[in-house]
Formats: sequence, structure tokens, C-alpha cells
Amino acid sequence: MVALPWGRSAGRGATADRVTGDRSGRARLTILALVVFVMLAAIASLGTGAAGVSLGDVLVKWLSGEVLSVRDRVVLFDIRLPRLLTGMLVGASLAVSGAVMQGLFRNPLADPGIVGVGAGAGLGAVLAIVLGAFLPPAILAVAGMHLVPLAAFFGGWATTLILYRVSTRAGRTSVATMLLAGIALGALSGALTGILVYIADDQQLRDLTFWGLGSLAGASWAKLAAAAPIMVLALLVAPMLARALNGLALGEGAAAHLGIAVQRMKNLAILTVAAATGAAVAVSGGIGFIGIVVPHLLRLVMGPDHRFLLPAAALLGAGLLLLADIISRLIIAPAELPIGIVTAVLGGPVFLWILLRRRGIVDM
Amino acid sequence: MLEACDISVTLGRKQVLHGAGLKAEPGAMTVIVGPNGSGKTTLLRAITGDLACRGSVTLDRQDMHALPPHALAERRAVLPQASVLAFPFTVLEVVRLGLTGRIALRPDAAQLPTRALERVGLAGYGGRFFQELSGGEQARAQLARVLLQVWEPVQDGTPRWLFLDEPVAALDIGHQLQVMQLARRFAQDGGGVIAVMHDLNLTAMFADRVVLMLDGRVLAQGTVQEVLTDQNLSRAYGCRLRVSSPPAQGATYILPQAAEMA
Ligand SMILES: Nc1ncnc2c1ncn2[C@@H]1O[C@H](COP(=O)(O)OP(=O)(O)OP(=O)(O)O)[C@@H](O)[C@H]1O
Ligand SMILES: [Mg+2]
Repeated sequence: MVALPWGRSAGRGATADRVTGDRSGRARLTILALVVFVMLAAIASLGTGAAGVSLGDVLVKWLSGEVLSVRDRVVLFDIRLPRLLTGMLVGASLAVSGAVMQGLFRNPLADPGIVGVGAGAGLGAVLAIVLGAFLPPAILAVAGMHLVPLAAFFGGWATTLILYRVSTRAGRTSVATMLLAGIALGALSGALTGILVYIADDQQLRDLTFWGLGSLAGASWAKLAAAAPIMVLALLVAPMLARALNGLALGEGAAAHLGIAVQRMKNLAILTVAAATGAAVAVSGGIGFIGIVVPHLLRLVMGPDHRFLLPAAALLGAGLLLLADIISRLIIAPAELPIGIVTAVLGGPVFLWILLRRRGIVDM
Repeated sequence: MLEACDISVTLGRKQVLHGAGLKAEPGAMTVIVGPNGSGKTTLLRAITGDLACRGSVTLDRQDMHALPPHALAERRAVLPQASVLAFPFTVLEVVRLGLTGRIALRPDAAQLPTRALERVGLAGYGGRFFQELSGGEQARAQLARVLLQVWEPVQDGTPRWLFLDEPVAALDIGHQLQVMQLARRFAQDGGGVIAVMHDLNLTAMFADRVVLMLDGRVLAQGTVQEVLTDQNLSRAYGCRLRVSSPPAQGATYILPQAAEMA
């Protein structure tokens, strides 16, 4: 369990909250600043790409009433816009599912990517791609284009459920058990995924490689339409969990005494994590560290109150993923780096820094 | 009135409570005492609905466990024996978690957490991190949160209840008296208090009713004079105890009873 916080002094921003301990004003300001940040990142993202179409030029043309060239229109509306929206939704989903999972497990190290939920979702997606054709036609008809994200959701859900059962006893979560069980579940999902890849046919292999790149390069309106409803739903449900997650920080018993329907909220939290992670993995493969770094940075700035943390995480996650995507498109232009590599290179050191700051404070 | 009848609880393979029961009235302070492991915490947790149990718990003849969590939270607040906190909340943010239900709708709701902190002697501590408080300060901060949840001892004519598991165990004698007076005032204002205590002197001073437990059963319950007798205490605690007899001359003893209270 966590014995001490890793923030050293309250209100290091030297504002009035050092005295009162009320950080809600600062949280609101942060959220406002993040809205601006996301808008700027979105504009930058629309203006970046291999095609060399400049947003300024297009804007000037459009304002002067000139007709856009087919090329400009295709680049902006069929390539960059779906990529922008996918990036924002994926970033928001990953960050929010991280924050929800950390609240649920009462531990800032719980992250869907680290504890195998991402791998479980990946297994679900690969299962759907390889064996989907064998499903009864009725199910295929109902799932339609949502089959892969739905399968990823179920994979993530099963993993989260198992993880929670294994690592939580009498309302207390053991960090060591959670991390170790996560490694085991991740390895198992990885192995099963490997077997599936082995038996896949050529067409499926192409689909799998494309999907597994961990990249937004394949973003399209079709893929977005398949996964976006699930991510949007998860993002809308998450704020309803805020009060329950705050209460859970005091332990399950105390949360119940505060009037929270603990079991129902826990189930809802697990579903939310699985939906957000599953859909994000289904469109973009594995993109690491957003789910752990974003909530952590935000807690340092505005405290752990989930009423503010969850919306702020969605915004910062969206903005950071857009930035990472821009970097991935610029750094070896005109080629492009999978975004998963960029988030790992940036997020890995931050994660290590988090661990270092907590060393000696966490009792595994 | 709160009535727990014939409560039996099995934890793991061990039957911890064997048909224990108690009665408590609003407007009075009921204190549960007994040796370690006698089942005080378990009885409290069975009553508050933390643990599944056989037997019945009724609040004004209503089955308490049938109430949904939010309705129950309006009627009673619970201070657990040990508390944990994940994430670096400030003291004020912890106390503010108690601002739930109808109390949050009061026009002065935003000031209440600070006032709750003042009541437990933690004025000015709001901006500190909860985990950086001392053990006793943490205990009082949690008490402030619990007090906030049932800020008015009587709401719309219905008494509200405080369940306190060893509220003063971590406190110095001055703060012990302060917290006991808080609890007493809550009861005097019409609320109900059920507290688990180890300190028999404080119990004798503040309790209106005492429940003495031993081995998962209630050995005796009644007024202080009826329950805290040489015979009952010697039997419960396994050592020969004598009530109201000062130690041999020259020995130092400091009793809360001797304090001059404001
Ligand atoms: N989770 C558990 N599983 C098995 N036995 C338990 C569990 N919790 C408590 N017990 C046992 O139940 C008995 C009563 O415990 P309880 O915590 O109610 O005692 P208590 O009277 O509150 O003691 P203390 O004065 O030390 O707080 C003890 O013998 C304890 O060992
Ligand atoms: Mg106890």
C-alpha cells in the first residue's frame, strides 16, 4: 500500500491553497489551459504531414473564396482530419482509462498498458481478425464494422476482471500481486496472439501487421466510425465515477459509508477501462505510457480529486497524443515513425522518474 | 432507537461473534469495551453493514441493512479503527469527502470542512498533505470528515448516528478529552453515538451506557455503575481489577477525571 504521497509540499504553486488546501480553483484553471493546449495541438496537427499541404495556404484560399484543389481537400479532410480525431479520442481514452484504473486499484502504478489489459484487448482484436469469419452470421451482422473494437473491449474486460480478482482481497490491492499478475496475463495474451498470427492466412496477416503497427497512420473515417462510439461512451461515463473513485481512496468500507454503491461503481469502472482501452487498442495498436504519465503529472499540479482529474486527463491525453503524432510525422520525414515508439521514448523516462520519486515510499 | 439482536459473524473459519446484541438510544453515548479480540470492531462492523452477519439490526424498527447506501449515509457516519488513504489528498480535501448527501446542498457548505477541522483542533491544517500528518492528527482529520457527514445531529426530526471505533486511541490526553466532549455534545444535541473504547476511565466519565464484551459475546450492558464492577472487569480482562481504588501511596497517576474542563 502507499504509505506516503510523493508530492513533497502542498500547494507548491505558492497560491492561497497552501493555506486552505482547496485546489479546486487551480484545477479549473488547469482545465481551461488544457482546452487551449488541445486546440493549438489540433491546429498544428492539421497543418503537419508528408503531403506538404500548409494549413495557412488552405485557409487563405478558403477565405478568399477560391475552390480548394482536390488534393488539398483529400489531404485535409480524408487523411488529416480523421487522423486528428482518432488521435484525440485515443489519447483521451488511454489517459482516462489510466486514471480510472489507478483510482479503482488505489494505486498510481496501475495502467492498462503495464498490467496487461492492453495485451488482453490486443488478443481480442486479433481473435476477431483471424477467427471472426467463423462466428455465427447473426453475431457478425450485429457487430458489423464494430467487431474488432468490440472484441478488443471483451479482451480488455476479461483481463481487468481477472486482474482485480487476483490482486484485491477484502478491498485492499496488493501492488506486487497486481504488477506480477499483469505481467503474467500480458505474457499469456501475447503468446495466444502469437499462435493466432501463426495460423492466420495471408490476407489476415496483412490486416494484422497493419493493425499492430501501433500507429495512427492507418486512421480513416471507417476505422474511426467503428471505434469512436465506444470511446465516446467510455469518456462520457467516466465523470460519473469521479465521486466513487474519490471515496474509494479511503478504502471500500469508508466509501460505502459515504453512501457509494461500491460494487456497482467498481463494475462500471472496470467496464469503462475495458471499453476505453479496447477501442483505443483496436484503432491504434499499443500506445504506451499515456495512461500512467498523464494522470501522474496532473495529480502533481492539481491534486487527485477525480472530479477534475478525469476531464483534465482526457484533455492532456488528447493533446499529448497529438503532439507525439506530430513528432512521429516530422522526425524522419517524409517517412514516419510509429507513434508508439515516440510515446515510449518520451514516456519511459518519465515513468522511471515516477518510480524513483516513489522509491522507499511504496511498500510492495 | 438502534437495536442489534443476536448477531453472529464468522470470519474465515472462526466464529467471531456468538449472538451478541446491544441497544442504543439517540441522545446518549453508548460505549463498547472489552479486551483485544473480544469482537468489538466486528460487532460495530456488523451493525454498520461492513460485514455480512446473522441476526437483525434495526434503526427505529427499520431493517438497517435494507436501506440503500445513500440513504444510510444520510443517517449515520462511521469512523473505522484504522484508515488508509491512496493518493496525496490535502487534509481539506479528505474532510470535504464527508460533504455528501443533503449537507452538500446547504448554502454554507463550502465553509463546513474548515469548521469541522476547527472542531477537532486542526484549524490551519487544511493545506497540509494528509499523509504527512502524525498518527493522532490523521485520526482527528478522519474524525472531522465523519463529523461533517452528519453535521446536524438531528435532521428533520430524525436523529443521526456516529459510529466510532477507538476514536481516541491515538490521541494525547488533552485531545482525548476534546474528542470525547465532541461526541458527548453530539449526543446531547439529540444524535446517537456508539463508540468502541479501551480507556475505562474515559468510558466511566463519558458513557451513558456501557456494553462489555468477551469472546464474541456481550458479558454485561447497562449504566457505568452496573457494568464496570470489580467482578465484571476482572472476569473480562483476566486480571484482578478494583474500581475506584487509588494506587499505593506515592505512586503517580494521572486521570482524565481530574482535568478541569472548559
Ligand atoms: N478477517 C478476519 N479473519 C479471521 N478472523 C478475524 C478477522 N478479523 C478479526 N478476526 C478475529 O476476530 C476476533 C475479534 O476481532 P475484533 O477486531 O472484532 O476484535 P476487537 O475487540 O476489536 O479487538 P481490538 O481491541 O484489538 O481492536 C479476533 O480474535 C480476531 O482475531
Ligand atoms: Mg477493534
